[in-house]
Amino acid sequence: MSEASAHALEHHEPVTSTGIPNKKVLMWAFLGSDCMFFGTLISTHLIYRKISATVGGNFLDIRDVFDIELTSFSTFILLASSLFMALAVSAIHKGNLNSTRWMLLGTIVFGAIFLACQVYEFTHFVHAPGNELTLSTYRGEPHVFGSTFYVLTGTHGTHVAIGVFWLLGWLAYSFTGKMSTAHALDVEICGLYWHFVDIVWIIIFPVIYLMEYAM
Amino acid sequence: MSGHSEDPVAEESKRFFTFFNLSMFLVAITGIEIVIIYVKTFDSASIIGVLFATSVVKFFGVVWWFMHLKWDKILNTVLFLMGLVIALGTYFAVIYMADSHPVVEKFEVAKIEDAWKADHSYKANDYVLQGEAYFQAKEDHLSNKSFEPKRWKKVDGVPHAISFRIIGGADMIEINSKNPGNPFFLLSHPDGSEEIDESTIALLTENATSADFRLKVRSEHFWTEAQ
Repeated sequence: MSEASAHALEHHEPVTSTGIPNKKVLMWAFLGSDCMFFGTLISTHLIYRKISATVGGNFLDIRDVFDIELTSFSTFILLASSLFMALAVSAIHKGNLNSTRWMLLGTIVFGAIFLACQVYEFTHFVHAPGNELTLSTYRGEPHVFGSTFYVLTGTHGTHVAIGVFWLLGWLAYSFTGKMSTAHALDVEICGLYWHFVDIVWIIIFPVIYLMEYAM
Repeated sequence: MSGHSEDPVAEESKRFFTFFNLSMFLVAITGIEIVIIYVKTFDSASIIGVLFATSVVKFFGVVWWFMHLKWDKILNTVLFLMGLVIALGTYFAVIYMADSHPVVEKFEVAKIEDAWKADHSYKANDYVLQGEAYFQAKEDHLSNKSFEPKRWKKVDGVPHAISFRIIGGADMIEINSKNPGNPFFLLSHPDGSEEIDESTIALLTENATSADFRLKVRSEHFWTEAQ
């Protein structure tokens, strides 16, 4: 290994008592707490999904509402974005700024496609003729399935949107000429957040979507 | 959790293949999940078991390699696992507590309005509307060109089909009319199965909908009320 590379990989981080940069410990602690947050939302949905949605007093088969092909596509997109993110982190560690930019861009584009799919999906669900999955029925009764579903997937979508803006920030910063391997840890932390968003979807996709087809 | 190697740049280069292989593996597993849902060769319990197993594998694949826990110090793993264990504990506690609640999935009351038809196969106790009156079939038969009163019994009241589906098991089901002018009461004790899907015919004085009834379901500890 060259001396320059060795220096590049030291990241100029202050020594801590744990031997781990404080920013990284903070992010892992945050991700642990976010696990609890999503755990609660998923549990809530799994309980209340038993109360079937109705439209105009008629039983609504949620499988007529879901578009599993579209959701499968967006799942593959999010998985692919995780690969780009991992490669972006790897590239910045190696000091390859050009590659970092491309990988960040790839992650952003795939994240944006995922969000676009979710917006399309929500619009389609709310306006599906005869199968409207909304938060309340036309009579104003609460639509429990719709409420827990939109809160859970919407919260995940918000996490993805935050991640996309965070990555956009790093991509823009990379063009200022100030970005170097000294920022590798910051990009890695951003990557941790992005991968977390991915693993939450890894749980949501089978538990919330595919499970409805298995029952 | 080896920490830093002697040649981190070379190690990062080697990780490229790890990341790429992992990504392909995740895509393949997700494909398997979708295929087993489409094919539906297995029973629900097996499918859910497979989905659970594949999700766990994918989850830890991403956490271990993409999120670098494999190469990081153990404190990060501990921090994350603490949150994960509490999340799983919350999940199982909530599911366990909620499991005793019977849930009324469906409760429908619909007037039977089938008009009598010629050359139609009827079963005993079927109801038809002939003119202004309702009739109940005395026996299984194939109807002739014209209505045969001897095969039918005129009934007093308007026949309604009352159907309900209850998930989560129940000890007792009670259905009663909220309208004193249209009396109806049914009390049943199901056999304890987890899913109850039943229907009954009620002869009512007036036309009614599910909004005119109250359905109460009792399990060991909880009452659930619909309408």
